[in-house]
Amino acid sequence: MRRHTGVSGFLAFVMILPSIVLTLWTVGYPVVDIAVTSIHSVNRFGRTTGFVGLANFAALLADPIFVASFWRTLIWTASVVAGTILVSLPIALVLQEDFAGRGLARVIIMLPWAISLTMNAVVWRWILNGQYGMLNALLFDLGLIDGPVEWLAQARPAFMIEIAIGIFVSMPFTVTILLGGLASLPSEIYEAARVDGASAIMRFRALTLPLLKPFINMAIVLNIIYVFNSFPIIWVLTQGDPANSTDILVTYLYKLAFRYGRLDLAAAMSIVMLLILLVFSVAYASMAMRSQSAE
Amino acid sequence: MRLRQGWLLAGICALALSAGTAHAATEIRVVVAHYSDATAPIFEGMAKDFEHAHPDVKIRVEDVSWDNLQQRLTTDIAGGTPPDLAIVGTRWLLDYASQDVAEPLDSYMTQEFKDRFIGDFLKPSVINGKTYGLPVAASVRSMFYNKDLLAKAGVNGPPATWDDFLAAAKSVKAKSGGAYAFGLQGKELETDVYWYYALWTMGGNLIENGKSGIASPAGIKAATLYKELIDEGLTQPEPTGANRQDVESLFKQGRAAMIFTGPYMRGQIAKEAPTLNYGIAPIPKGTTAATYGVTDSIVLFKDSSHKDVAWKFLEEQAFSPKWRTEFTLKEGFLPITKAEAADPTFANDPGLKALTALLPSARFAPLIPNWEEMADATMAALQQIYLGDAKPEDALKSAADKIDGLIKP
Repeated sequence: MRRHTGVSGFLAFVMILPSIVLTLWTVGYPVVDIAVTSIHSVNRFGRTTGFVGLANFAALLADPIFVASFWRTLIWTASVVAGTILVSLPIALVLQEDFAGRGLARVIIMLPWAISLTMNAVVWRWILNGQYGMLNALLFDLGLIDGPVEWLAQARPAFMIEIAIGIFVSMPFTVTILLGGLASLPSEIYEAARVDGASAIMRFRALTLPLLKPFINMAIVLNIIYVFNSFPIIWVLTQGDPANSTDILVTYLYKLAFRYGRLDLAAAMSIVMLLILLVFSVAYASMAMRSQSAE
Repeated sequence: MRLRQGWLLAGICALALSAGTAHAATEIRVVVAHYSDATAPIFEGMAKDFEHAHPDVKIRVEDVSWDNLQQRLTTDIAGGTPPDLAIVGTRWLLDYASQDVAEPLDSYMTQEFKDRFIGDFLKPSVINGKTYGLPVAASVRSMFYNKDLLAKAGVNGPPATWDDFLAAAKSVKAKSGGAYAFGLQGKELETDVYWYYALWTMGGNLIENGKSGIASPAGIKAATLYKELIDEGLTQPEPTGANRQDVESLFKQGRAAMIFTGPYMRGQIAKEAPTLNYGIAPIPKGTTAATYGVTDSIVLFKDSSHKDVAWKFLEEQAFSPKWRTEFTLKEGFLPITKAEAADPTFANDPGLKALTALLPSARFAPLIPNWEEMADATMAALQQIYLGDAKPEDALKSAADKIDGLIKP
């Protein structure tokens, strides 16, 4: 460890002070504002009409749609993140191998990333439309269905399709992280393992997986943070319908704030969501620090 | 000397400039809803006429899409920078009135001005005896039916009652080769309205004695009827997958025999399916005739610093016979002022006549707080019923309980 003199430490602090102040202000101001709003009653136009303590939070907990959306958000996040990792890992392993057309394959895997999430969702909505969607046309031509199927009409299939699309759009980012991880693995130990007669599966389980673990963890935490707050897929496909059965917290938050004008409830809900995400962010930060100190 | 002259000149220029800006300082901001690409040019035209008559005034027209309008105005109001005038959905007026952001217009209106309007059109925007908005656009919903499909099914003319409707739907299903008898909307905006038609015609009301009326016997009857239509295959399959546009597309493609929709459908059919042989009829009757009427209103904001000038703009241009006729004609709405109705274009149009005839039976969205949340609660109940996840009584009862809580928190 290098020793700092008091002066240079102080000087360093002064020099980064403007950045700290700016960051605290841009991050802190909205948070404080929302926290203040969440303990007041506020009208549609953002005017505060009185202090209500924790009444907004109590109202949320008493709202069955909020509670159902909360559990659904957990299912949504867990399914999309787990699915993404399970799909991305083999893809990353394949793309790491040297084969003809690997460049093209990598581009194809990355393509959904280049399209905005909303556009992606809109295209899927067209594909899934019961009356003139591509999917039904295809299935009909193949003789697999004999009439239109409304894919998004019922809660369960609609939500499962949304999860599948969530996995599809989270894949490029995750594959990128994992590819970065794979590229950083030392090749010597693989040669040594091969010399010792380890099979491909053994090499994967004993070497690749443990060495890749920090990257997988990183991918999991970052995906949790993105997916938890992911709005466009569900909003574009079903708007949380039918009967609020595909609403997650962020879509219900949007309805509360911008459709119903319940800014106070929405603020309370934002605080709840912020606290949940804070837990994951702290986990991410500690993980990042640990991997740094490990180096 | 030269130098001083230069300074003097600069000073005069500065003075002239400031005087110039002071002269044109009266700026009126008008936020208009984007009905079509014609909307903004019409209002720009009004602005030009007004600026010509009042050179000291500048009218700034801002064109905002319906999707963003409410959020945009809410943000502007919350930020303390509302426009002077804005077009809003009439049912938003309650919030504007109760939060004291809209100016009551009664003291501005002369008798001559009030007389320009047809019958009751000023009424939907009256709250506690005060007029908070002026109607700019009016439409009324009706049944559009495919004449060819009904003829093929051996049905003579549009069904007038729900019994006739059910019989006609069955014939269409049996004889019209795969076309759907009834396009039923089951998701997104106005899913609830699609059901209110049945509720109202069966004698129900949205609000009865200060409480929700959706779980009334009329409401249960209406929901049971729609569920029966679904179960008997008289609608398109799985209505909870179809929003308003989906249902309207089915009709335009000639794949649905009957739908409920607004006057704007006439323009769409003329453009997209000009050969479609269709007719316009009232919503089938149960115990009474009813339909859904919608008006949009223009409001004057309390925070406007030039209320008199803004009002003059409304009186002299926006509600002048010339511009009213131009607007209603281009946008395809129903006449609101007498001058529009007298215009030959409207007087000689049988479709518009049929629609205008429905106006006396039209119900408007009640001016109650939390309307959007009630609409969503009703929609959720309907979706449960349509999917068969809940019985009409149970789903409507729990939605009504929720709505009662929203009416009197």
